[in-house]
Amino acid sequence: MLFTRGVCRISSKFLRNRSFSQTLLASHRLSIIIPEHGHSSPDTHKGYVCRGTTYSFSSPVFGGFRHHHLYHQSSSVVEEELDPFSLVADELSLLSNKLRAMVVAEVPKLASAAEYFFKRGVEGKQFRPTILLLMATALNVRVPEALAAESADIISSELRVRQRGIAEITEMIHVASLLHDDVLDDADTRRGVGSLNFVMGNKISVLAGDFLLSRACVALAALKNTEVVSLLATVVEHLVTGETMQMTSTTDQRHSMDYYMQKTYYKTASLISNSCKAVALLAGQSAEVAMLAFEYGKNLGLAFQLIDDVLDFTGTSASLGKGSLSDIRHGIITAPILFAMEEFPQLRNVVRQLEKDPTNVDIALEYLGKSNGIQRTRELAMEHANLAAAAIGSLPETDDEDVKRSRRALIDLTHRVITRNK
Amino acid sequence: MVVAEVPKLASAAEYFFKRGVEGKQFRPTILLLMATALNVRVPEALAAESADTLPSELRVRQRGIAEITEMIHVASLLHDDVLDDADTRRGVGSLNFVMGNKISVLAGDFLLSRACVALAALKNTEVVSLLATVVEHLVTGETMQMTSTTDQRHSMDYYMQKTYYKTASLISNSCKAIALLAGQSAEVAMLAYEYGKNLGLAFQLIDDVLDFTGTSASLGKGSLSDISHGIITAPILFAMEEFPQLRTVVNQLEKDPTNVDIALEYLGKSKGIQRTRELAIEHANLAAAAIGSLPETDDEDVKRSRRALIDLTHRVISRNK
Repeated sequence: MLFTRGVCRISSKFLRNRSFSQTLLASHRLSIIIPEHGHSSPDTHKGYVCRGTTYSFSSPVFGGFRHHHLYHQSSSVVEEELDPFSLVADELSLLSNKLRAMVVAEVPKLASAAEYFFKRGVEGKQFRPTILLLMATALNVRVPEALAAESADIISSELRVRQRGIAEITEMIHVASLLHDDVLDDADTRRGVGSLNFVMGNKISVLAGDFLLSRACVALAALKNTEVVSLLATVVEHLVTGETMQMTSTTDQRHSMDYYMQKTYYKTASLISNSCKAVALLAGQSAEVAMLAFEYGKNLGLAFQLIDDVLDFTGTSASLGKGSLSDIRHGIITAPILFAMEEFPQLRNVVRQLEKDPTNVDIALEYLGKSNGIQRTRELAMEHANLAAAAIGSLPETDDEDVKRSRRALIDLTHRVITRNK
Repeated sequence: MVVAEVPKLASAAEYFFKRGVEGKQFRPTILLLMATALNVRVPEALAAESADTLPSELRVRQRGIAEITEMIHVASLLHDDVLDDADTRRGVGSLNFVMGNKISVLAGDFLLSRACVALAALKNTEVVSLLATVVEHLVTGETMQMTSTTDQRHSMDYYMQKTYYKTASLISNSCKAIALLAGQSAEVAMLAYEYGKNLGLAFQLIDDVLDFTGTSASLGKGSLSDISHGIITAPILFAMEEFPQLRTVVNQLEKDPTNVDIALEYLGKSKGIQRTRELAIEHANLAAAAIGSLPETDDEDVKRSRRALIDLTHRVISRNK
């Protein structure tokens, strides 16, 4: 069976003495093997534990690996390089147009403020909408009852509009939080242009953020699904809580990996996880499927942030110190430093003095270089990326080509999140 | 409801809900009275036991509207104080003054999100829609105030629209929400809305007058905070209709403080204060009439609440602080 062959290949590769970061840059395509037969019992994902570094699959299917880094030679499944973003490019531009239309306001200044980050060229990578649109397709498994010819199409397209609505709402909430964060951080630039508060003042930025939030609420209400409203309202609460955790933590909390992961969940992963879940709920999927969508979003978000932390140190080269170092310069302690602090307790004192004396940054970087901090962060990121991919693998089977392609794209995203270098 | 995981956020959010600082709780009072005023028992629901349990579930939900409304209101106060660099609010230090702008912005966001979660829990998407629109209106009203052109600032229509957004929309839409939760018809919901809207407008107009007259009937004893901040309210707008030269004075308000005194002179000579009071009385009467148009009832509690709501329309006019 394809799977067992893959397993054997894994064991031999694993025994070779290679560090993870070197492995990443190698030319192998990494992917979770999607078993073709008899797989997705609900027990499969009971083995996932999102804490610490021990992960094991209790399901017999995966044979109880300790490091579930599964290799798979490029298979015949995809003909060319799969670009998740191009799969949804048309829909994305539809979404951008709709977003611009939705933030039109009666008061011109408010309109230009709100539109600020939806203008062409400034929309950002649109990472979140891409994930959500792919998830929408990935979950559009046609249930037998809905197979009546014409109505299936109409239902699907109505559903699609609603799912696109989730993507729009998510982007509005995200931009609203950016606007408020920039006010809070006195930031000058964002997405390569002057931040709104820098250009137009704090007041209008606070208001524009509020405006976007309220438009998001109105759009949410229009979906007429109070569970979805609840989910996304909780996201806003999480964003606020995460930001406050960062602003007001005690020294002990700032040195705690648990606190850091909780804060990261609130600040980064909650939006993606809960909006993925919302997409599933709108599609009428079961609670189990909704939870798989949630797990995908959560683990992808966490992996994304962890690599973000690494890149802040390593930048575009693999060596230390070439990154922008903006986190550490602002006294924000991220995963690599937290891991390094476990190895070198003396680093704690250095870290406490970070803001008082800039040369402490260099000392901290030295310790980081001597430690396994960067490597362990990458490993943790990969664990989460794999969990995300596994969640997709556990979705109910389908024969639909579009659905399969979207699922492959979602899995591809779990790789890109790890391999990106900017 | 505002207990948060992060202690600092909790103290920020609780700031205006502490005993002694809750304000007059004007809005919740209106809403609770409206809830009773609308609890007309429809014939179908008169089955003995269920009639007792149904109202109390309903009552809890209607109380929810009052809580949500207050959270939205306080959230907007927190953000407004940041925007206005205000030092005090409700007689104590404003939150931003005490704890910094950042935590005030965050606390405002937090309250808003809690309000949204509580709204969702009501499982009525029309109500969610109504109150989400309120937040949008609050923002629009504040922005209208911040960014208006000179012509707009001199326009009574613009002023009334802004006042609706900033003050009346919250009350009107939450009254309507109360009615919808009670399963009332669209006509009754509209009457509740009209009550809230007109009461809110009357309230703001008298507020404008009091800013000039304060606790005495004569001009200039009030705090004059609006005009000192260059905010042009109804009395001045009316005076400008009688004395066009007042427009120029008003344009220079922020450049030269003595212009405030000149403006006050014109105001004293004009009928500005009187016409504003008259407009307030018109709106108060419209509010009372809306209550009078509600479906008849024999229930004593319902009748008493309706009388109380009408009494409020008088207090709004006759208050002098």
